[in-house]
Amino acid sequence: MSSEPIERRVSYLGDRLRGRRCGICGKEYFEVRDYCGVCGRKSFGKMVDIDLFYEKGKLEICTLINEPTNKFTKLGKYIYGIVSFHNGKIRVPGRLTDQITKEDEEIDFSVFEGREVVPRFRRRYSVDKSDVIPTISLAFTFADEYYPHQEYNVVKPNKEYETPGIVGYGVYIPRFRIKEGGMERSVPFIDEDSITAAVEAGKLALIHSGVDSTLVGKVYVGSESNPYAVKPIASKVAQVLKLGEEDEDVQGVDAVDTEFACKAATSMFKDAASLVNYPKSSIRYAMVIGTDNSQAAPRDCPGGELDLFVGFGACAYIFGKNDVIAEVEGWYSCTSDTPDFWRRDGQPYPMHGGRFTGEPAYFKHIRKAAKKLMERLNLKVEDINYFVAHQPNVQFPMKVAKELGFKEEQYLPSIQVAKFGNTYSGSSPLGLASILDIAKPDERILIASYGSGAGSDAYSLVTTNQILEKRKRQKLTVKYQAENPFLSYVDYTTYRRLKVGM
Amino acid sequence: MGNRPAIVAVGRTKFGEHYEKEPEKLIEEAWLKASQEADIERRDLEACYLSDYFLPITNKLGLEEGFLSELTELHVPMEVTRSFSSALFNACNAIQAGRYNVVLVGGIEKMTDRWDKIRDDLMLLEDPWSYYAGCTPEANHELMLRAYIKKYGISGDNLEKLNTALAQISVKNHLHATKNEYAQYQRKITVEQVLNARKEARKPLGLYDYAPISDGASALILTSEDFAEKFTDKPVYILGSSLATDYLTFPAREDLTHFLASKIAIKNALKMAGISLWDIGVVELYDQSTVMEMISLEDLGFCEHGKAWQSIYASCQDYKGYYEIDGKKLFTNLNGGLKADGNPLGATGGAQIFEVFKQLRGEAGERQAKSDENLKYGCVMELEGFGTKSYVYILGRNHK
Repeated sequence: MSSEPIERRVSYLGDRLRGRRCGICGKEYFEVRDYCGVCGRKSFGKMVDIDLFYEKGKLEICTLINEPTNKFTKLGKYIYGIVSFHNGKIRVPGRLTDQITKEDEEIDFSVFEGREVVPRFRRRYSVDKSDVIPTISLAFTFADEYYPHQEYNVVKPNKEYETPGIVGYGVYIPRFRIKEGGMERSVPFIDEDSITAAVEAGKLALIHSGVDSTLVGKVYVGSESNPYAVKPIASKVAQVLKLGEEDEDVQGVDAVDTEFACKAATSMFKDAASLVNYPKSSIRYAMVIGTDNSQAAPRDCPGGELDLFVGFGACAYIFGKNDVIAEVEGWYSCTSDTPDFWRRDGQPYPMHGGRFTGEPAYFKHIRKAAKKLMERLNLKVEDINYFVAHQPNVQFPMKVAKELGFKEEQYLPSIQVAKFGNTYSGSSPLGLASILDIAKPDERILIASYGSGAGSDAYSLVTTNQILEKRKRQKLTVKYQAENPFLSYVDYTTYRRLKVGM
Repeated sequence: MGNRPAIVAVGRTKFGEHYEKEPEKLIEEAWLKASQEADIERRDLEACYLSDYFLPITNKLGLEEGFLSELTELHVPMEVTRSFSSALFNACNAIQAGRYNVVLVGGIEKMTDRWDKIRDDLMLLEDPWSYYAGCTPEANHELMLRAYIKKYGISGDNLEKLNTALAQISVKNHLHATKNEYAQYQRKITVEQVLNARKEARKPLGLYDYAPISDGASALILTSEDFAEKFTDKPVYILGSSLATDYLTFPAREDLTHFLASKIAIKNALKMAGISLWDIGVVELYDQSTVMEMISLEDLGFCEHGKAWQSIYASCQDYKGYYEIDGKKLFTNLNGGLKADGNPLGATGGAQIFEVFKQLRGEAGERQAKSDENLKYGCVMELEGFGTKSYVYILGRNHK
């Protein structure tokens, strides 16, 4: 049983943790109420919107739940308690997420109580496969662990650039990893999917850019693992992140999902950059997200060879003309009908590993896109500081970089696949983010994505001096997430269980 | 005052699992017992006040009034509310208003018919936002205990004593239930069993700290004072009846260590009855968990805030059948409480009233309170949800 109207209302409040504060007495409610319970009728029209989405709370008290209610059984054991915000002015129930509680572990609750926590946007509980997926942000992690609390400070748009470009970005990778065959790969927690990761990444991009979310006029979400066959991830992102002007419960933003295997997101970079540059458009910013809970069949099944490489995560980029950190200098995209990797509708896992994998697919398209772009922009290999390619494994991007004539110092810094696995739509964007994390002003980055089916988008980006200023705003850099002391390693069985999710 | 509500007869079923019986069968059984006791005929009834917490969910039954009409061939006004106390509250009001003179109050629940989903239903009804965040019906009790320990700074030896006291509540209630033929669990348990269950669960409270899920029904006949003598020469009067309400969302309440609703309800009930707290000798508390029994002793005012566990601990070192609080005796949950008697939500309050009724009339048999003087007044407290609603009734054989 599932009631869409109830889901709609619970998500509307719970995803963003919306509430109201009485403008007269200051009492706060986790509820969008029109008047204050204390002040009564005189408070009509004086209630102020608040939300706890970017705030940090405090875990007041907690207990262990080891026999959850039916809908939560897939979470197994978890810590549940009461979280307060604003010095106790508002209290909400919440469970700790991203924790795997061991079978026989003695738990001392006082270790958890009193610590600061950050709300996380997650799946709420299990439902039937045909139901609407329930989500909520009454899931929390400790602020002093993997995911720190970061304030979202809106910065007024300042300098306008001639050429549009990236104004901010965010990379979200969870704390779980599986270590196999010299590679570490990111693993979602059981309540995560490509929708929750997209929201997390978008949130981090807003924090990094300082862009007012109401000025984002379009959001594109590229994925090949949307848990819905029909229903966009982008609409959830728009609603939770309050993109565009909010009018009642509708956001004044265009939101669309795109699909082209692993280049579903990079393909839209040029669309986002063009959109913000259209003279008659009122759209100041556009957001592009690549998100994937990269799918692979179990190891002994057809297509199971991918199971050694898949990761999980999302990257979000905000494009605009103000306060740009990397200008889009140019692009070249190419496409051919090459069936090297596909997933039929209704099938849980993609097919892969046939005749076209490798040379006729990945190498041919990336080479073509990169070469053509360099030709057009009249660039030589030496003019480029960093080269970023799609990363299905470690060998492919290295091989294609060498073929194009790049040296190790140009391509090695972007190769992140050994730390996170192949994050599909987020793969080359993650490589790009790792370069933007370290690049100096006035450096040129060439990125060439690859999407099976098949095609490649090559972009040339030139960094500006604002890249240094904005860097301070983001604690969750690629390196931070790769080398974090709070990483949690899981075995193969746990990895498969977490990946399948709730 | 001729309109004072008086209980003239009570009846109930055994609590436990009744998979072989339809819900209607249970209420029939309880009603027949009550009607036999007072020799009442169906045609005497002017109205029926029924309660079930969630038959529409557990048994897909709606309009339970219609079932009862078919069963009794009565066409009098009937209303269904959620708890026995709520049905009784409405019945008292109607009698006091002079609208009716003889009514049936009944409660019924059939929880084991939906045993596999009952915890989800309970939690969702009790506190939906906590449910969405992952709470279980048990977790709120544990959080309340955590909050209590922190607020009153209980640690070390005292913490151990508090934990033992909570275990003793369960042991004591099980002991009482061995003398209650209607109880779900008529067997003794030990403090070790309670503590081991906690250890096994790796939690502050374990299996033996919680009331079970149960099926069962209870009924009573309520009349106006003037009509009572038609049926019995030993009516028990409802001297005080009160209800208070609090937020649904437990975390949003200001005080996480007590139930505000109970504190308000007892005050109003005492005022209405015109007695003072310690005129009460026997009390039935709503021990959905051992924590709730402890907290309730404080909410009702029998113990100081943060100190009930001390009296419980001291009383249970060598348990004599009552709690000794500041030198005064308080007989508590003589039927075994929700823990051992059972907790079929809609019928539970009826079993509580049943017990105090029997105790005040001196008809509780083996369970009869061994008090120094005749019990004058008894008190019943019932909660709906996790302290969202609190009902307090003060019963007495005589009235001032």
